Amino acid sequence: MIMSDKLCYYSKLRYVNATEKFLFSVLTLTACILSRSIIIAFLVLAVTGILTVYKGKIPLSRYIKLMTVPIVFLFLGTLAIFVNVSETPLDAFAFPIGSYYITGSVQGLFHGIQLICTALASTSCLYFLSLNTPVTDILNVLRKLHVPALILELMLLIYRYIFVIIHLASDITVSQNSRLGNIRPSTAKKSFAAMVSSVFILSVRRSGELYDALEARCYNGTLQVLSEDYPVKISEILSIAAFEILLYLAVIVIRVSGGTL
Amino acid sequence: MNQKKTLKENPEILLRAENLYYTYEGEDSPALNGLSLTIKRGKKIACMGSNGSGKTTFFLCCNGIHRPDSGTLYYNGKPFGYAKKELLSLRQKVGIVFQDPDRQLFAASVKQEISFGPLNLGCSEEETRRKVSAVLKELDITPCSHKPTYALSGGQKKLVSIADILIMEPEILILDEPAAALDPFYTETVYKIIDRITEQGITVMMATHDVNHAYLWADEILLFHEGRQLKQGTPDELFSDELLLKKTHLAQPMLLTIFHHLQSEGMISKKLRAPKNIEELKSYLSQHKDS
Repeated sequence: MIMSDKLCYYSKLRYVNATEKFLFSVLTLTACILSRSIIIAFLVLAVTGILTVYKGKIPLSRYIKLMTVPIVFLFLGTLAIFVNVSETPLDAFAFPIGSYYITGSVQGLFHGIQLICTALASTSCLYFLSLNTPVTDILNVLRKLHVPALILELMLLIYRYIFVIIHLASDITVSQNSRLGNIRPSTAKKSFAAMVSSVFILSVRRSGELYDALEARCYNGTLQVLSEDYPVKISEILSIAAFEILLYLAVIVIRVSGGTL
Repeated sequence: MNQKKTLKENPEILLRAENLYYTYEGEDSPALNGLSLTIKRGKKIACMGSNGSGKTTFFLCCNGIHRPDSGTLYYNGKPFGYAKKELLSLRQKVGIVFQDPDRQLFAASVKQEISFGPLNLGCSEEETRRKVSAVLKELDITPCSHKPTYALSGGQKKLVSIADILIMEPEILILDEPAAALDPFYTETVYKIIDRITEQGITVMMATHDVNHAYLWADEILLFHEGRQLKQGTPDELFSDELLLKKTHLAQPMLLTIFHHLQSEGMISKKLRAPKNIEELKSYLSQHKDS
C-alpha cells in the first residue's frame, strides 16, 4: 500500500493528464472483461506492462512483485472451477476417493485459465492507473465525473488517515515488541488486542482533534481544496484512441467469430 | 455595558480575556480557572507554564473553537460573537498553528493542504493558486509542494502547517510549541520565519518551554499556572523573580544567570540593566575591562 503509493510520485507518467490515464485504464479494463479472451488479456498485459515499466520507469522487479500479489489469490479463487467432486470422473483428471472422484474437465480448466488471465490483465490496468497517478489526481477525475462530494471527501480523508493510523499501529507494535510483548503466543495475542483497541481509541480522538483544526481554518462543511491539472496532449489522446479502437475491434471480432481463445 | 467597555478599550490592545472558565467534558477540574489577560498589538508574546496549565485551551478559546463556560473574550475591544459569520471572520484574523502537524494536515498533497483556508474564505481558484505559490516561496518549501503530505519530514510538515495559517493572512498568529520535536535546523528555520512574520506587523503568540529562546525573543511573557495567569511581564522582570520561577518549575535563562553572577562577583556594574542578548553582555564585559 505505502510502497505502491510512493512509486506513483516517481513515475515518469505522473504529469500526464489524469483523465487520459483514467480513460485508458477504464476502457481497457472494460475490454478485458467484455471479451474474456486470453489473446486480449495477453495483449493488455503486455501494453500496460510496457507502459508502466518502460514509459513510467517503475522498476520491473517491483512491478512483477506487485503482479504476484493477485496471482495467489486468483489460483485459490479459481480452484473451485478447476476441481469438482462428483460420482463420475471428468475428462481432464480424476482421483478416486471412496465412491467419489476429485475431478476436473478440460473445459473447466480452460475456463479457469481464461478467468485468471482476464483478472490479471484487469489488475494490470488498475495498476497502470495507481502506479502512475497519485490518489489526489484520481479524485480530481472522479470529481469531474460528478461523483458526489461526500464520497470524494471520505476518500480523501480515508486515504490521508490510512497512513496516520498505520503509523500509530506500527509505533504501538514497536513499543510492545521492545517490552517483549510478543514473547509468547498468549502475550502476542494480548498485545495485538491491546494495540487494536488503542488504535481505535486514538483514531477517535484524532478525528476530534482534526475537526478542531479544520474549524480553526474556517471549515464550513465541505473540504474545498485546489485541484491540479496537467495539460492534455493531442498525441497522447490520439494514441489512446487508436489503441482502444483496435482493441475493441479485436474484441468484436473474437466475440462474433465465437472463438474460444 | 458592553458599549461602554468598547469605548474605554485601549486601542493598543488586540485581544483581551476576562475571567475565563472552561472545563472539558467529563473532567472534574477546570482547564481554565479564571484566566484574565491582555495581548497588545504587534508584540511578540511567549506563553509559558507547565503542561496542563491551560495554554492550549486558551488558544482554542481565542478563535472560538472552545467557548468559555463563563467570562468574556474581546477582540479589538468587541466581545466575541459566536454566530457563524462572526466566527468565520474571527478565525480568519486569529490563526492557530497546532502543536502536532499530523493532527492539522488533512489533505493528500501539500498544495491542496495549503489551499484549504483561502478557499474557505471564498477566494477564487486563481487567487488561491497565486497565494499558495506565494506562501510556498515565502517559507521556501516549493520543492516539496508536489509531495504527498505523509512523505514529508517532521520539519517540512511543520512548515506546511505554518503555511496553512499564514496564507489566511491573520492579524495574530498563535503557535502551540512550534519547536516541539524539531531538530536544531528546523527549530532555527521556524524561529526565523516567526521573526519575519513579526516584521510584517503580525502579532505573534507562542507557547514554549524553551526559557532561553523566550528570554531572547519575547517582548512579553504570559505565565500560566493552573488555568490562570500568574504573571504578565517583560522577560527580564519575570525571569529575575526566583520565587515565581520556583513555583512554576521554570529554569532561569542562562544569560540572566550569568549576568546576575557577574554582578554579584563585582565583575560588572550593579546598575546595568539585564542584557537583551549575548552581544549586550559581551559589551558590558568589554566596557568593564576598558574602565
